[in-house]
Amino acid sequence: MMSNPKDSNLLWLSSLRFLMRHPWHFALSILGVALGVAVVVSIDLSNSSAKKAFSLSTEAVTGKATHQIRGAAENLDEETYRQVRLDAKVRKSAPVVEGYARVQGVNRTFQILGVDPIAEAPFRDFASQEAGIELSEFMNGENTGLVSETVAEELNAEIGDTLSLSVGGREFSLRLIGLIEASDDRSAQALESLVVVDISTAQRLFDMQGALTRIDLILPSENEEALKEKIRPNLPEGAAIVRSESRTETVEQMTRAFEFNLQALSMLALLVGMFLIYNTMTFSVVQRRPLIGRLRALGVTRNEILTTVLKEAVLIGFLGTVIGIVAGIFLAQVLVKLVTQSINDLYFVLSVQELSIDLFSLGKGAILGIGATMIAAFWPAREASQAEVSTVLRRSSNESKITGRIIPLALIGLLVGLGGVGVLLIPDGGIVAGYSSLLFMIVGFALIIPLMIVGMAKVLRPILGKISGLIGKMAVRGVVTELSRTSVAIAALVVAVAATVGVGVMVDSFRTTVVSWLESQLQADIYVQPPSSVARKADATLEPMLVDLLRETEGVADASSVRSVDVRTNKGTDNLVAIDQGAAAKQTYQLKTGTDSFWQRYTEQSIIMVSEVYAYRNNVAIGDTLTIETDKGNSPFVIQAINFDYASDIGTLTISRQVYDQFFDDDAISGLALYAAEGVEVEQLVERLRERSAGMQEVFIRSNKGLREASIEIFDRTFTVTIVLRMLAILVAFIGVLSALMALQLERSRELAVLRANGMTPGQLWNYVVTQTGVMGVMAGLLSVPLGILMAYILVYVINLRSFGWTLQFMISTEVLLQAVGLAILAALLAGLYPSWKMSKANPADALRND
Amino acid sequence: MPNKSHIQLNDLTKSYQEGDKLRSVLDELNLSVKEGEMIVLLGRSGSGKSTLLNMVSGIDKPDHGEVIIGGTNLAALDEKNRTLFRRKNIGFVFQSFNLISTLTAHENVLLPLKLKGATDDETLDKAQQFLDQVGLGDRGDSYPDRLSGGEQQRVAIARALAHEPMLILADEPTGNLDYETGRQILDILNDLVRENGRTMIIATHDRDICKIADRVVELRGGKLSEVEDIAEAIK
Repeated sequence: MMSNPKDSNLLWLSSLRFLMRHPWHFALSILGVALGVAVVVSIDLSNSSAKKAFSLSTEAVTGKATHQIRGAAENLDEETYRQVRLDAKVRKSAPVVEGYARVQGVNRTFQILGVDPIAEAPFRDFASQEAGIELSEFMNGENTGLVSETVAEELNAEIGDTLSLSVGGREFSLRLIGLIEASDDRSAQALESLVVVDISTAQRLFDMQGALTRIDLILPSENEEALKEKIRPNLPEGAAIVRSESRTETVEQMTRAFEFNLQALSMLALLVGMFLIYNTMTFSVVQRRPLIGRLRALGVTRNEILTTVLKEAVLIGFLGTVIGIVAGIFLAQVLVKLVTQSINDLYFVLSVQELSIDLFSLGKGAILGIGATMIAAFWPAREASQAEVSTVLRRSSNESKITGRIIPLALIGLLVGLGGVGVLLIPDGGIVAGYSSLLFMIVGFALIIPLMIVGMAKVLRPILGKISGLIGKMAVRGVVTELSRTSVAIAALVVAVAATVGVGVMVDSFRTTVVSWLESQLQADIYVQPPSSVARKADATLEPMLVDLLRETEGVADASSVRSVDVRTNKGTDNLVAIDQGAAAKQTYQLKTGTDSFWQRYTEQSIIMVSEVYAYRNNVAIGDTLTIETDKGNSPFVIQAINFDYASDIGTLTISRQVYDQFFDDDAISGLALYAAEGVEVEQLVERLRERSAGMQEVFIRSNKGLREASIEIFDRTFTVTIVLRMLAILVAFIGVLSALMALQLERSRELAVLRANGMTPGQLWNYVVTQTGVMGVMAGLLSVPLGILMAYILVYVINLRSFGWTLQFMISTEVLLQAVGLAILAALLAGLYPSWKMSKANPADALRND
Repeated sequence: MPNKSHIQLNDLTKSYQEGDKLRSVLDELNLSVKEGEMIVLLGRSGSGKSTLLNMVSGIDKPDHGEVIIGGTNLAALDEKNRTLFRRKNIGFVFQSFNLISTLTAHENVLLPLKLKGATDDETLDKAQQFLDQVGLGDRGDSYPDRLSGGEQQRVAIARALAHEPMLILADEPTGNLDYETGRQILDILNDLVRENGRTMIIATHDRDICKIADRVVELRGGKLSEVEDIAEAIK
C-alpha cells in the first residue's frame, strides 16, 4: 500500500526543523562529507590534469604521425632518414630531434622540438613551411627557433630577440625568428612549453651531431605492412618501427601505480568521511528515538521513517558534495603542482601545470559524495525504521540492547577482520584486494570497539576516581552507560585518527629505508652530475673534456662512471644503467638475491642485474633471460642478480660498462663518482673541482653528504602530496572528533541541567564534561594506535609491495603515535569546551522543561 | 449508544522474558467494548495497563489471542498493516504528551490528518477547529516547548481526535499534571469524546477518573475484572 506523497510533507518538515535546531551538528556533518569529497575530487583533478598535460604535449610533438622509427639506444643515425625517404620512398616521413632545456626568464622546463620544416607539412601544422616558417632564417646555420605567442608574451620577447637556453648545464643562445599562432585554447596549452628549432640547431643543443631522436611516419592502415617491409631493410641494427601511441602507453603504465595510490589515499579520506557520516546519522537517529517512537505510534510506517532519514542523508550528501566539489577545485590548484612535480621528479617532464577541470572527475566526486553518504546513512536509517515502537518509547531500551550485543558484535568484528586476512591471501589479488582487506579490517576493528571501551572504562574508572573523585568516576561511567552513542563516536574517531597513523608510519618507513639505502649506495666521496630534466633520471651527459679534467684533478684517487639510457627490451622500454666499478661495485649494491660471484663475472659475461621493483613489475626472476635491443641487434641477457633500489619505481637494469660498450656505440657518461685520496678533505676537494670546472659545462659537484641531502629533498618533495593528504586526514579526524563529541554533549543538556539543578556548580560541570570528552579522546587515541599500525602494516607490506614492489623496513616512530593520541585528546578537550560553557551559562530550568 | 460489541479482546496473553524468568503480564484476558463506550482501565503501576493498550493499538502483538477492532483482528496483521490500521483508526493521548517537538501545535494536530490522506483545505480547517475546541485556537504557531504541560496535553487531545478515529486510547492522561489542570483536561477529554461519539479506553491508577467512565475494569494478575460499583471504586 503506497501512501500519498503529500502525507510525508510534515515528516520532512519535522526532519528539516530537527536539522536546523542542531546547526552545529548539521554543519559538521556537511563538512565531513565536503572534506571527503574535496580530497577525492582534488586528487582526481590533479591526476587527470597531469594526464591531460602529458597527452597534450605528446599530441603536439607527435602530430599526425602514426608510427615512429626509434633507435636501440637513445639515438638514430640521420643517414637512416635519408634512406627511408629516398631509398624506401616513404614520403610521409619526418626527422625529429627532441630534448629538454630550461629557458631563462621562466622557471620551467621546455621541450625542444627539432624539425625539418620541408618534411613537416603532413605532421605538425605549426612547424611546417606552410605555417609561414621563413626557411632562409630557420635553417641558416645559427641557433634560431620559434615559440608560441603566449610564451613570447610571458618572456616579454619579440621576434629578433635572443633567448638563453640551458641544456644539461650548457648555455646556448637562440634567436627568435617567428611566433607560432595557436588556433585554439587547447593548442595554446599544448604549445606553452615548446620551442621549435631546426634539426641542426637541435643537434647542436643536445650534442647529437649526425643523429636523430626518431623519425615520424604516417603509414596508412591499408598498406601499413607493405610500407613497413619496404622500410625495414633500411634500418640499422636495433632500430624498430613502433606505433606512436606506444610511448603514451608506456608512460601511462609507469604512472598507473602512482596515480592509483594517490586515488586510494584520497578514498581513505572518503572512508574516514563515511565513518563521520555514519556517526552523524546514527547519532541523529539515536537522538531522535523518542521522536521516531511517537511518529510510529501515530501510524507512520517503517518505510516512511526510512525514506525520511535517507532524504536527510541526501540533503547532507548534496550540500556536502557541492561544497566539497568547489573546495576540491581550489585544493586541486595546489595539488596539481605537487602531483606534476612528483611526476617530473619520478617519471618524465610535464610542462603543463595548469588545472583542467574535467567534468568526469566532478561527476565522480558527486556520485561518490552522495553515494557514500547514502551507504553510510543506510544502516542508521534502517535501524531507526526497524525499531519496535514500544521499545522506542522507552529511552533506556537501546542502551540495554547494545550492552547485550557487545560480545556478538566483537565476534562479528573478529570474523570480518579474519575475512580481511582472507582477502589478503587471494593470489594475484593486486592493489584492489589490498585496499579491500584494509576496509574489512577497519570495519572489523570498529565492531570490537564497544567491547574495548567497556574494558578500558574498567581500568580508567578507579584512576579518574582518584584524580577527580566522584566527577571522574561519573565521567567514565557515562561513557559506558551511553554506549550506543559513545561507541559510534569513538569508533569514528579511532578510524579517522588511525588513518593518520597508517599514512604517517608508511611515509616514515619509506624514508628510513631510503636513507639507509642511500648510505650504502653512496660509497664514493664526490658525485658529478649534469642538471637533468627529470631529477631521478640521468638523461643528460657529461662533456668528455670535463670528465678527463675532473678525473685528473689533484686529490682524486679513483673514479667510476655511470651511463643511463632508455632501451627497448622484450618487456617494453626500460632504463639501463652501465657501471664501470668492476668488482668494487659489490660494496655499493645490496643484493636481494644473487651470489657474490656475480660481481666477478658481470664484467665479462652477458649477465644482468635487475632491481627488485623491475623483477616484481615484470615478473622475472634469477635465471630468466631479457632480450635488449642493442646497436648489435637483439641480445639476450641472463638475470643473475636482483638488487634493492629505491631510486626508481619503474625499475632499473644494470650491466657493466665493458659489456655495454660491446653492444652499444655510445661512449657518453651520465654521472661520475670520485674517490678522494687519503688525507684529502672532501669539502676542499669539492671546492677545487668546482674551481677547475668553472666556465665549462655547468654540472652539480656534490659531496656524498650533499647528494644524500639532495636525494632526500627529492624524496620529501615526491611525498609532499602524501603528506598533504595526511594533513587533510588529520583535519577530517579533528572535525570528526569535534562533531561527534560536541553533538554528544549538546544532546545531554537535559542531563547536565539535572546535575546543575542538583547543585553542581558551573566549574564542576566544566570539569565533568571536559573529563568525559577527555576520557573518550584518550580511549580513541589509544585504540587508534593498534588500528593505525595495522593499517600501516598493510600499506607497507601489501599495498606498497603490490604497487611498486619495494621491500621496506617497517618503522614506527613514537612521534607519529604521540601525535595521534595527542590529536584525539586535544580535539576531545576542545569539543568539551563549547557544551560545558553553554551549559554553565544556561538556566537549568530551560533545559529541564518538557519538550 | 449502539449496543453491538465494537472491540473484542479474546484470550489475550502476553509475557516478557526477564533474565531467566518468563513474566506473564496478560493472562488469557477477555474484554468487550461497545461503540461509543468510555472504559476506565484501573491498575497499579506495572500491572500491564500500558502493555494492554499497546496490544489494542497494534503497537505490540500478543503471544496468543485476538484483538478485534471494528471487525479487524489486529493480531493477525503484519507490522505494516497494523501501523496503517493505527494511523486510520486509533488516537493516542500519552502521559508525557509525546508531541512532535519539531512541529508547531497546529502541525501536530494536522499530522494524523495528513497521514490519513486528507486534502489540505479540509485538514487545515479541521485541525484549527479541534485546537479551538481545546481552547488553544490562538496558540497554533507555538512549538511544544513553549507550551505548559496542560496546554501540551490539550494539543495531544486535539491530535487524538482530529482524524476521527474509531478508538481513542489514553495512557495516564493526567499523570504529569497538577490536580486542577488534570481535572480540566479530563473534562475536555470527556466532553470532546462524547460530543464526537468516540470509543475510549483510559488506563490509569487514579481512581478519581472513574467518575467519567461508563464502565470500569481493573487489571490484576494479568486478568481483567469488572468494577461493579464505580462510586465505591472512587472512594
